[in-house]
Formats: sequence, C-alpha cells, structure tokens
Amino acid sequence: MPKTNKIYTVSQINSLVKTALEERLPSRLTVRGQISDWKHHSSGHCYFSLKDTGGILPCVMWASKFRTVKFAPEDGMEVLATGYVDVYQVAGKYQFYADRLEPAGVGALQLAFEQTVAKLLKEGLFDEAKKKPLPLYPMRIGMLTSESGAAVHDIVDSIHSRWPCATLFLYPVPVQGEQAAEEIAHALRQTNRRNSTLNLDILIIARGGGSLEDLWAFNEEIVARAVFDSRIPVVSAIGHEVDTTIADLVADARASTPTKAGVVAVPDQQEILTQLAATEQRLTTQIRAMARSARQDLEIVLASALFRNPLSLVQDASQQLDELIAELTDAMKELLERARRKLSASYEQVARIEPHRLLGRRSVEVSEWQNRVNLAINAIVNNRRMQLTAQANRLTALNPKSVLQRGYSITTNKRTGLLVRTAEDVRPGDRLNTELASKNLIESEVVKK
Amino acid sequence: MKHMAEKSQKNDIGKLSFEEAITGLTDIVGKIEQGQIPLQDSLQQYEKGMALIKHCRTILQKAEKRIEKITEEQTDGEED
Repeated sequence: MPKTNKIYTVSQINSLVKTALEERLPSRLTVRGQISDWKHHSSGHCYFSLKDTGGILPCVMWASKFRTVKFAPEDGMEVLATGYVDVYQVAGKYQFYADRLEPAGVGALQLAFEQTVAKLLKEGLFDEAKKKPLPLYPMRIGMLTSESGAAVHDIVDSIHSRWPCATLFLYPVPVQGEQAAEEIAHALRQTNRRNSTLNLDILIIARGGGSLEDLWAFNEEIVARAVFDSRIPVVSAIGHEVDTTIADLVADARASTPTKAGVVAVPDQQEILTQLAATEQRLTTQIRAMARSARQDLEIVLASALFRNPLSLVQDASQQLDELIAELTDAMKELLERARRKLSASYEQVARIEPHRLLGRRSVEVSEWQNRVNLAINAIVNNRRMQLTAQANRLTALNPKSVLQRGYSITTNKRTGLLVRTAEDVRPGDRLNTELASKNLIESEVVKK
Repeated sequence: MKHMAEKSQKNDIGKLSFEEAITGLTDIVGKIEQGQIPLQDSLQQYEKGMALIKHCRTILQKAEKRIEKITEEQTDGEED
C-alpha cells in the first residue's frame, strides 16, 4: 500500500512552521536593518519593515514596547531591533516582534535629543523673543527639584548668601526615573495654576550632575512644553557646566549648575544697599543745590531797589501828582488869560466900529456880552471867594481867638502878663485886661477873691 | 490734617513691594534731577524718596532666609 500522503490543515502547517522556528531560532535576537514603510497606528502599535540590499523583514512593535523608545523612528533610518521571530498565522507570514529599537551607530538618547531639539526649534520654543524677563527683585522663589538631592542645598545657599530677604518654596519632584518628566511637568503646571495664592516671582527647575540617562527627564518634550507654557519665569539649573538639556534651551534663563542659580536669579543685597546709599546721596546733594539756588534767587530779589526802599513807589507817585497839579493850574491860568485877552480885543473892536453909529444897534449886544462876561467872571471869582472863605473858616477854627466870637473872652493879669485860668492866678489889687471878640479891651481891677 | 496725610503716606510706602519702591524712587530721582518740579514739590518728593529708601533697607535687612514647602493640592483632581 503506497504511503498515503498526510493531509494537513492550514492551521496545522502554520503551527508546524511556528514550532520549527521556535526550535531553530534563538528566543531573542537583534537584527540590523533600514526602516521602511514605518506606520505608527492610532492604536499605538507600530508596523514597519527592516530591509537590506538582499531582502525585507516585516516587523511589529507593540505600543507598550514603543513607549520606551526615546527617539522617533522614520523611514531610511538604520536601526538595531531586538526581539523575536514568530508566525502571524492569520496572514500566514512570519514577522519580527521588536521590543527594543535603537539607532545604529549614534546612541538612542543622543538621537532622541537631536530630534526633539530640531522639532522644538522649528516650533519656536527656543526663541529669544519668547523668553520672559526675570523680575529684578524676586522675593518668592519656587524650587522644583528633589527634596533629598544636593541640588536643593546648593540653590538655597547660592540664593540666600546673595539675597537673604527672599523666601524659597520647595516643590519636591523626582528628578530621574520613569515618572520624573511627567511629575516635573505637572509641578510646573500646578505652580502656575496656583500662583494667585503662591505668588511666586520665579521658578527654578534643578538637578545635580549625572549621566545623560540621569538627566533625561529634562530632555523630555513634556517638560520642555511645560517650561515654555509657564507664565512664571523659569530658571534652569541642571547638571554640570558641560551639560545642556532641552529644558535649559527653553528656560527663560539658565544657570550652568545649581550653585550658580543665585547669581542668575537674584541680585546681590550688598550691591543694592550700595546703590540705595548712592541714590540717597544724589537726592540729598540735589535738594541742597536747589535750596541754595533758591536762597540766592531770594537774595537777588531782596537786594533790588524796590525792597531796599519800599516807599519809593509812593514817593514817585506823589511827585507825579504834584507835577500834574502844577500843570493843571498853569493850564487854567492860561485859559483865563486867553479869555481876558479875547475880551479886551473885543472891546477894541467895538471901539473901532464908530460907536456912535452902531451904538443904537450894537449897544444892546455889547451889554449882553458884557453881562455874560461879567457873570462868568463873577461866577469864577465868587467860586474862588467861597473856596477862600472855606479855607479861612477852617483856619479860623484853629485860631484860639475865634472862640471869642462865641462870647468867650480872654483875661490877662497885667502884673504877671499871664492868662488868668483860676483864682490862684490873681490877687486883690491886680489889674486885668479882658479881650473881647470885637477887639475891644476892658480893663478891670480885682477887688476881692 | 497735614500730619494725618503724612502718616497715611508712610503707611502706603510700608505696603509697597521692593520693586514698586525702587520704581517710585527712580521716578523721584529723575524728577528732582531734571528740575522739572517746583522747589516745594521737590522737598515733598525728597522726603518721599527718603521714606522709600528706608522702606527698601527695612525689606533687605529683614533677611530671614525662609524656606517653605509646597504640598500637593488636596483637591487636585483635574490635569491640564
């Protein structure tokens, strides 16, 4: 009986191949090749091929594994993939299941760093124009760093030695490990959100020195974006002098190490005190100069003629008044003189016009004119006389003898020649003169007293 | 009245932040040095300037070197 060929099912074949592969191939191997057809599915899984000049190897990388890949794989990139080969029975093909992916040649972290820098640079996260100025005199300073590390002490010392009036706020965060980047980003966002109560002027994100892996959290995009989004100015103080992280590039200011944080973030109290003293000096000098100059101005004013002889104004005015009165008097005299000349000229004219002929007609006119002239002159004269009488009356009022007009009399002792005011001024037998208003004298003798 | 005004001015200065005080001081120095204001105002500004300097010195010389810790917010449920 001829050997009957066994009939396999499809599944059996695939299963056999799978077993054969498992038996013949190492359970874990690394393959080198160039990426092509890279697809990052929305599920998070990655599908791609690795190829070299001779062939092509379909590959899968599950989302859970891809999460640990720091750089962004892309077509054409030469990589080392580590994993195992297995059969994808549904499609009837074998493929490579990668759990690690690294760039060939340069280190994965180095490549990731370069890629992130290129990406964020393009987005403008490092733009100088986007950097916020640091406040000149920060009084409340937040520190985002590990509570246990050396960095926190370095920062505290470097700040308080220069600027002891600042209050420091420590927000403890892990600075390395899986969760570090996320927690640092979270802390940045939370301090910003709570800053209406925290009132922080500056945030310092810090970590002491370490390897590229140790510092990696500060190269993560999530941290870079949180730094960029922070409304509170961020100062980075990460690693040693030679280390540059992406956080350093995004931060508003960078201290090369935590010990330099103070120099970057805060002013020197001594310098400020010196400046204050200088300002005080400037103000005092200036105000003294102003006072001196004001005093000089005052002295100049006081030395002027007006202040030396304040009456001079009045005196000048009174002299002007005198002059005006004199002018006025002269003018009036002149006016009067002219009127008088006109009058006598009129008389002559009248005389020349054969009076006997014109007399009948003109005599009335003449006498009219004469009357008017006389009246005018009399008015002036009377006016003057009244003024004179008024003046004389005023003078008379001051004259002791005017009292006599009112019936009083003045009695003089002829013997002593003195006025008799009381009975003591006379003795019997004295002869007295009594003067009356009428200028008459009565002589009498003292008979008794 | 005048005394009260001076007192309230002093209280106001006491409330200023260091930065505000320095800004105010710079302003006063500028005004006085440029001689833009009359003597009487200058004297008032000078006195205010001296009060600001004193306030700044008080702040600087407190020098408490305080350190506090920020703790996670209790009600911190939302992530932004």
